[in-house]
Amino acid sequence: MKIINKEIDLLCWFDKQGAATPIRFRLLNEDGQDQVIKIEKILKKDLEKLAGNRMFVYTCQSVINDETRILTLKYELDTCRWFLFKI
Amino acid sequence: MSRIIFHIDANNAYLSWEAVYRLQHGESIDLRQIPSVVGGDPKKRSGIVLAKSNPAKKYGITTGETLFSAFKKCPNLVVVPPNYPLYIKCSNAMVEILKDYSPQIQRYSIDECFLDFSGMKHLHESPFEIAEDIRRRIKNELGFTVSIGVSSNKLLAKMGGELKKPDAVSTLWPSELSEKLWPLPVEDLFMVGRATLPKLRKMSIYTIGDLAKYDPKYLQYTLKSHGQVIWNFANGIEASSVKKSTHLVAKGIGNSTTISFDVETSKEAHLILLSLTETVAMRLRDSGLCAMLVSVSIKTSTFEHYSHQRKFYTPTDTTKQIFAYVKMLFDEIWKGEPIRHLGVRVSELCDNDFVQISIFDEEVSDKQKSLDKVIDQLRLKYDSKIITKCCFLHSGIKPLSGGISEEDYPLMSSQL
Repeated sequence: MKIINKEIDLLCWFDKQGAATPIRFRLLNEDGQDQVIKIEKILKKDLEKLAGNRMFVYTCQSVINDETRILTLKYELDTCRWFLFKI
Repeated sequence: MSRIIFHIDANNAYLSWEAVYRLQHGESIDLRQIPSVVGGDPKKRSGIVLAKSNPAKKYGITTGETLFSAFKKCPNLVVVPPNYPLYIKCSNAMVEILKDYSPQIQRYSIDECFLDFSGMKHLHESPFEIAEDIRRRIKNELGFTVSIGVSSNKLLAKMGGELKKPDAVSTLWPSELSEKLWPLPVEDLFMVGRATLPKLRKMSIYTIGDLAKYDPKYLQYTLKSHGQVIWNFANGIEASSVKKSTHLVAKGIGNSTTISFDVETSKEAHLILLSLTETVAMRLRDSGLCAMLVSVSIKTSTFEHYSHQRKFYTPTDTTKQIFAYVKMLFDEIWKGEPIRHLGVRVSELCDNDFVQISIFDEEVSDKQKSLDKVIDQLRLKYDSKIITKCCFLHSGIKPLSGGISEEDYPLMSSQL
């Protein structure tokens, strides 16, 4: 896994308690083309409070180019932005 | 009953907060591990060092020196600009954790807190263990390190925190004074600064212990009441309470700016004073206050400092009227030398709901007041630059200056 910390377009749903579940996101791949990656499974969800900046950290499992990969997504509460943190 | 006071101090606060924030956002280099400072504008290489990393300290870089001289000491220094909203966030997060331990918390400054743990003995047996727990939690949850001092009053807790840095808990109980505090050089004592130190040296006081054993009568003779204060501190005597809020009622409102070039004409100086008056008057109106007194301060390129003040006939909060006085004061004292730093300050504040008006009114009409109100609202709603005075056009001078951030936070004070 490598840290890339890239902002992404992401689709997710919120439950009544306000908990977000990511569904899929779009990533610009090396050929400059959009690639949509589906979240197969959420393995872990943590709240990170580093430097007082709250971020939900999702460890997920996805299939990218027929290969099962583990990736980390981060959701920054203050700015409402999603990041592909590690892949 | 003896009290238990903690003093919690974030290590290299601004720098480590920025470092942690960057790590959280995927930065691979930890600013704390390399020579780095927070301050000024890294591109223009202007400004001063606000905080430094420990590796930068090894190059002899000190807080408050210019970036120019810091670069001379360490050419590959990394400079990051200050980010006050982030610091407020970090400070709030730290206080949130502290609230789990005691409701009595005093925010002494943005990176320092006092916590009163008295009477909690039934909950937790050892204060030291609790302090260790706080230290570990802040490190794990928030990612930065703190030094904690534990003692029976605020002064000793603060001095105790200085004993071991970073990421450590130290106790400094009154019984440990002679062993832990007294061997330290006297300038390490709280409230012993540049002015007091030479006087103490003359009395051959070199360590805190020397001071503690000195006759307080002689100290009072040379240092007046301050002599008694520092003698008490050296002996660990201090009894102020942990105040829940340090938001003292402001005695005055002021802004100042250091100018990146030497100001040599009164026209330029007037513009800068106007830009300062704009922010000062806005803050004054925002607090719902009027001022009776205004003062102007000047620092020249040779660091000579002087100031001048005058009373208004009637309390005021209008930009125009304050500026008229500011201009007058400036013209009266300026001797024509190059200026480096200008400041405007208003004081003797009173509420603005009932204000004595004068028969000989100085052109302050309700029109002027409503104009100020509209300008304030526009600036608040859109941007502070949405509406500016036209004299600033093409002048190269910012139409508003002074102030550190949108939110106010407690700054260090000499009162515990």
